[in-house]
Amino acid sequence: MYSKRINDFLKSAGIGIGDIVRIVSKEHTYEGELMPRSEAGDDNVVVIKLPNGYNVGISFEGARMEKIGSGERVHSFPKLELKRGGSLPRVSLLYTGGTIGSKLDYKTGGVYMLLKPEELFYEVPEISSIADVEPINLMSIASEDMSPAEWRVIANAAEKAFEDGARGVVITHGTDTMHYTSAALSFMLKDFRAPVVLTGAQRSSDRGSSDAFTNLIASTMMAAKSDIGEVGICMHNSPSDDLFSFIRGTRARKMHTSRRDAFRSINNSAIAYAKLDGRIEYKSEHKRAGRSDGAKAITGFETKVAIVKAYPGSAPDIIEYYKDKKYKGLIIEGTGLGHTPVSTTHRGMSWLPNIKDAVESGIVVGMTSQCLYGRVNPNVYRNLRMLSGAGVIYCEDMLPETAYVKLGWLLGNYKREEASTLLNRNLVGEIKERSMVDEFLV
Amino acid sequence: MVPRQKIDYKSLGFACGLEVHQRLATSKKLFCGCDAGLSASPVVSGSIIRSQRAVAGELGKVDFAAKFEEEKKRIFRYNIFDYNTCLVELDEEPPHDLNREALQVALSISQALNLNIVDEIQPMRKEVVDGSNPSAFQRTIMLGSNGSVKLDGRSVPITMISLEEESAGIEERKAGETTYDTDRIGIPLVEIDTDPSIASPEEARDVALRIGTLLRLTGRVQRGIGTIRQDVNVSIKSGARVEIKGVQELDVIDRLVENEVLRQVALIEIRDRLLARKAEVGRTINVTSHFKDTGVRILRNHLDNGSVVLAFALKGFKGLVGTEIGPNRRLGSEISDYAKGAGVNGIIHSDENLSVYGFTEREIEELKKILGVAENDAFVMIAGGLDNAWKASELATDRAKYAMVGVPAETRAVLNANDGTTRFMRPLPGGSRMYPETDLKPVRITSEMISLAKRNAPDIDRERSILEKQAGQRNAEELILSPRLSLYRFLVNTLEGNGELVANILLQKFTELKRSGFEVDSIPESKLLEMFKKYSSGEITKQAIEEVLKALTAGLGVEEAIRKNKLERIKGENLSKLVDSERKSYKSKDELIRAIMSKYRLNIDGGELNSMLATKHG
Repeated sequence: MYSKRINDFLKSAGIGIGDIVRIVSKEHTYEGELMPRSEAGDDNVVVIKLPNGYNVGISFEGARMEKIGSGERVHSFPKLELKRGGSLPRVSLLYTGGTIGSKLDYKTGGVYMLLKPEELFYEVPEISSIADVEPINLMSIASEDMSPAEWRVIANAAEKAFEDGARGVVITHGTDTMHYTSAALSFMLKDFRAPVVLTGAQRSSDRGSSDAFTNLIASTMMAAKSDIGEVGICMHNSPSDDLFSFIRGTRARKMHTSRRDAFRSINNSAIAYAKLDGRIEYKSEHKRAGRSDGAKAITGFETKVAIVKAYPGSAPDIIEYYKDKKYKGLIIEGTGLGHTPVSTTHRGMSWLPNIKDAVESGIVVGMTSQCLYGRVNPNVYRNLRMLSGAGVIYCEDMLPETAYVKLGWLLGNYKREEASTLLNRNLVGEIKERSMVDEFLV
Repeated sequence: MVPRQKIDYKSLGFACGLEVHQRLATSKKLFCGCDAGLSASPVVSGSIIRSQRAVAGELGKVDFAAKFEEEKKRIFRYNIFDYNTCLVELDEEPPHDLNREALQVALSISQALNLNIVDEIQPMRKEVVDGSNPSAFQRTIMLGSNGSVKLDGRSVPITMISLEEESAGIEERKAGETTYDTDRIGIPLVEIDTDPSIASPEEARDVALRIGTLLRLTGRVQRGIGTIRQDVNVSIKSGARVEIKGVQELDVIDRLVENEVLRQVALIEIRDRLLARKAEVGRTINVTSHFKDTGVRILRNHLDNGSVVLAFALKGFKGLVGTEIGPNRRLGSEISDYAKGAGVNGIIHSDENLSVYGFTEREIEELKKILGVAENDAFVMIAGGLDNAWKASELATDRAKYAMVGVPAETRAVLNANDGTTRFMRPLPGGSRMYPETDLKPVRITSEMISLAKRNAPDIDRERSILEKQAGQRNAEELILSPRLSLYRFLVNTLEGNGELVANILLQKFTELKRSGFEVDSIPESKLLEMFKKYSSGEITKQAIEEVLKALTAGLGVEEAIRKNKLERIKGENLSKLVDSERKSYKSKDELIRAIMSKYRLNIDGGELNSMLATKHG
């Protein structure tokens, strides 16, 4: 955004973004296309694109500026309508936005969400040779802006896709909260026997090195050909473009801010690995895909559920806050085996009284570990026994984010007692009895 | 071909401009915390593989050059180095903030070239799909425009300067997979572009040398092979713009430019003759079965591996495919270069002596019949895997057809620096491949940065007068243009003197020794410094320096070089004793000096001997 001063001038001079302008500054003349101003940078600088392709910023102070030509003002991305029909397996592609669906407009320099899946297919025409892909444009929002309301829309769309005869579903999604959505869909979608594959990109698709292309190819392959009847995330397994992992929806977690292989399978092997030549190798037990006969979306969700993190010096007031705000469920991300401060030197810092209070008032409190890897245990230390005695439910080897989504879903669809009982029982692979040696840091 | 001396560049409509790329010597890379200096013995700690694709460019079109690279469907392998690679080079982490040290050096260079600095710099991405960067683009920032460099009273316009990241170096290229070393990626680099008004090949060379000098004078540029590279743009009136990429030796630029002009003139002549003959390019035919029993070895190897042989006729091309357009270069070589883009080894054409390959007359006659080749026609054969061969024939026929249009706009690489020849690399990229780097913020150029840049700007006149005082007028002129200037400055500054001697050694002695085959430029500067220190402290004589240098090129240490060649200086007490023992055998002082010097020329300083005898004889 330009400063008010520059904007006023542009308005009065009839100059719009994209117009060709001449700027004379300190006896030097620049000619080029007026670019939009990104958020960062100096308020009194005008940015133009020179004929050599470079953008430069010229100080507006003491400069003369005039319009010498009109330019295009709208951005548009090329599109590709995929070939439909034929004998290939039918895959519904639910488009929701995110980095995989955001693209830089080369003309204006702005990053935009692609508005249509067809704009994404332009870069990966080969997916039409893997499956009969039906694009469904659900929404165009960033990962961090997702909420349970969107999970519900996606679950309903997947249900409809299966009812309409899809063999598999691919969901393109922003990566930051993809594992929350994959957990939500794992609980919400019932009675389906086909792959539901979430995928995204760590590099936007305007660059030739984007992981969007290969992730889309591998995910479409998984949806069209794999025998997995579960929800999962399919993305890069390493920084190389050659191996893609399919991770169970309740076990996936984004473990790196920027790497292509950010998603790891925690406390569970990946279900399968795919190569671009079509080979799929299965690694762990999974629900098999079968003849598709629809699906059922159970999408109730209690939004008054929160995650609370315990750490040295953390005050228990936060529990009280949620109680006052009438929350129905809390997932604590405890330390180690599932601790919060309990026997503190300063008495007011113990979480125990507030937790007891919360449980007594009817809030379901679940305990997970910020270690992420491993299982919580209510018995090893005295402090743990006190917490468990207070009614805290220890959530086994379930990820904190998954436990949060599960509790919200349980409270949205079951009575409190039932929800409380089901929280640490395995429903869709989010908890398992045995922890294996080779499941750590892979 | 037009004889060289007859070229009238002006009437040919000659246009030539340079893009000089110079690596800066900063401690860190441009956008991450990796060392910017390359290790002398780099260790590869792993590798990753990537595929890249051409994406729709600024105008919604996929850049032609980018698409060409993508069509080659290469897999890129990137080697990872302990000290010089982090996630940023691998495109696994967004860039860190711009290296301000590099920016400041680039601003000083901009000042020396009288460029107008912009008020706020905007980082851009320049699309590259040849794999030379894992991100598929190169980050580049324009700093200034509209400057000039002075050359013999004339002022050559500098259109712009940019600060950018270095790309990866090719380590290995094999069918379908190219391996790059990532240690080089992200080293700060300045690009300086001249306008296309350079009037002759010699001027191109001189401008390059002058810019190179200014860069070296900053004392903040990397030295050694590959640290400075020029892209040379050449065109003539009815030809096309051709960019010769990555020229590393400044002194071959004139030859490269001259040869490019001759190549374009020759291609235009060929075009005119083809048009007059109403030439055309035939359809590609799969002739694999025709050669199924062939004894031609290069085809046999292909056929035994299940490959195919394709051929097409070039009607009216006879004699022209083999016409020389440069030293050892023909139209056929050009067509072959295009075909190689699809992963085949090259082509065979009928203007070559086919019997050398072992073709029988009957094989050729029958092939001609299949292709419909008549008296004035030529033909081309391509062997390779099915997909590669067809792709290659498409590229080759396109190139052959273009021979009737004229000179294609291309990016070319140096094939042989000695004879100044180039080969086709890829079509010249269009202008539609630059877009903003959204991961970086623009940077405001402050007046403090400008005044600091002015203070540090290299100044040729100032430098020349310093050099004149240190090393004498003649040496100064030569040093200013010498690639060894920074070495000279390092040595003289550390030794705090000896300017004239160091200059004489680095200029005359080095040139002399290089001519006799001694690789003096490969001697590490630390060894040279040690040698000059030994001279300053009187441990060796001036005459011994040449012998020490010779030994150093063989990889010896300085001490070892002196000891093994018995180059220790004889002086003082020892010299006095030597004089006393030799004295009686000779009548006159002159005779004595001659005798001693002929025996101990490398060990004795003539001056010391003279003054000693003067005292002794009283």
